[in-house]
Amino acid sequence: MTTALTILGLESSCDDTAAAVVRQTGASAGDILSSVVFGQVELHAAFGGVVPELAARAHTEKLDHAVEAALDKAGVSLAEIDAIAVTAGPGLIGGVLSGVMCAKGLAAATGKPLIGVNHLAGHALTPRLTERLEFPYLMLLVSGGHCQFLIAHGPDDFIRLGGTIDDAPGEAFDKTAKLLGLPQPGGPSVEMAALRGDATAFSFPRPLLDRAGCDMSFSGLKTALLRARDAVVAENGGLGEQARADLCASFQAAVADVLAEKSRRALTEYLAGNPTRAAFAVAGGVAANQTIRAALQAVATEAGAEFSAPPLALCTDNAAMIAWAGIELFRLGHRSDMTLSARPRWPLDRSSPAMLGSGKRGAKA
Amino acid sequence: MPSDPLILGFDTSAAHCAAVLLCGDTVLADAHEEMTKGQAERLIPMLEQVLTQAGAGWGDLAALGVGIGPGNFTGVRISVSAARGLALGLGIPAVGVSALEAQVFGLPGVTVSSLDARRDALYVQVFEMGAPHFPVLCDMASLPPIPARAAPSCIGHMNQEIAARCAGHAKAAALPMAEAIARIAGQRMHNDTLKRPAPLYLRGADAAPPRAAPPVILS
Repeated sequence: MTTALTILGLESSCDDTAAAVVRQTGASAGDILSSVVFGQVELHAAFGGVVPELAARAHTEKLDHAVEAALDKAGVSLAEIDAIAVTAGPGLIGGVLSGVMCAKGLAAATGKPLIGVNHLAGHALTPRLTERLEFPYLMLLVSGGHCQFLIAHGPDDFIRLGGTIDDAPGEAFDKTAKLLGLPQPGGPSVEMAALRGDATAFSFPRPLLDRAGCDMSFSGLKTALLRARDAVVAENGGLGEQARADLCASFQAAVADVLAEKSRRALTEYLAGNPTRAAFAVAGGVAANQTIRAALQAVATEAGAEFSAPPLALCTDNAAMIAWAGIELFRLGHRSDMTLSARPRWPLDRSSPAMLGSGKRGAKA
Repeated sequence: MPSDPLILGFDTSAAHCAAVLLCGDTVLADAHEEMTKGQAERLIPMLEQVLTQAGAGWGDLAALGVGIGPGNFTGVRISVSAARGLALGLGIPAVGVSALEAQVFGLPGVTVSSLDARRDALYVQVFEMGAPHFPVLCDMASLPPIPARAAPSCIGHMNQEIAARCAGHAKAAALPMAEAIARIAGQRMHNDTLKRPAPLYLRGADAAPPRAAPPVILS
């Protein structure tokens, strides 16, 4: 565990084309030598959501440029890289496939080992990249596509305590923005509008709080928001700025309440295992929301657990987390061969029953 | 005497995975497998197999030729993404070659190249020395204009029907797809204006703006 490892990471599972170089010396936290992210917000803006085919087209023509930029910024040549890590799922399959093929090309050409990384493991291991958090820690992964509580026991060992049974909160933020005529991505624009709003103006449901366990649901919240909006529009012939701000603040408060209460339950379950250094970490784009972050921090403090939230650039999709997960998996001896598949579905916890998409194609996450 | 440069050509733009290793005009090794899925898993092992058969390694290559379609979107991206990664890793050029062009490579005179675009549509391009024609997505009722009295050779999907409409002759491609791609790559690998390979889609992404309009915002 004393050698330095330098790994190139590639990420293209949603609408960010990313490449990064991360180095770990000894057993320390990671040193991000570069982290390049080419976003696609404008590409999808007119469609009110990420269009998979458009995303895949963009990734295919941007990935190699992202890799070059990351190597250049890091001042590292391909020859100095120890291995190539790539997101192999779960995510939008067209983009994941482009990343996997580009990484295979790089690995074959350079003779460097290839490591297929689970995108969710990338998020879930980020607290170790930034703070060297010790296992086991509790993780809330909350983004545009995912929402789940995990206990991280090792780089490849996760137990899921619960998660959303329908939409992810980030998706709900995007839909809320769309319904209220706010720009995409919805997370930041709803949060901004909520700053001037009254969080008690509208009474939105807190789904599944009456049920035991850590499962969540956000699709009903979206419907409730639509009804409330329609009522306001019907009454006033349109949506005023203040009403819009109030809707945003009330919606955000409902999401924060649900996440906080379910976090409280997840913490109880996690602490029952007597971890040596109790820690609650959040990751994913929604963890960038200040109201939600503050609510989660308060829950952690109340439970006596250390709270960890990565900086914004490492909350949203990036390749530094993939490179870091690659380092952790490489040290465990993981290697992929040239038959590595891109997987649209790939649950982190392979033992717990599937929550989403439990049809014939298997669990989504 | 230095031997001719080694060029590796490959294509997954339709229901196949195909590769060829070319030295000048000589095919050193090749492989072709019909498959409707699994190209992403098969492609690199197939390329390694072709290299091994010829006793060559990745480092011996001077250029790559890659099929850019038009064809199956995912299939095209599999090869183009791999080619870009390989080119970056090897420090050699990757030349993107259209399937429409590869299909008529080596045939004399005016040619009409066509491919199945599904949904009763075709991808069609006319090739005529000295006169550039763009590739198009069309159907049999909207074929691009074909030069009069050219008696073109028609190759590919529905070529007999197309030949009947332009007093042409239905013919078969002169070379297998991957070999034609590698040969064209060999001709272009030193071009100063060579760009990185990019898929030739010809058909837009199925994406529609949201149906529900946002509410009127009162100011």
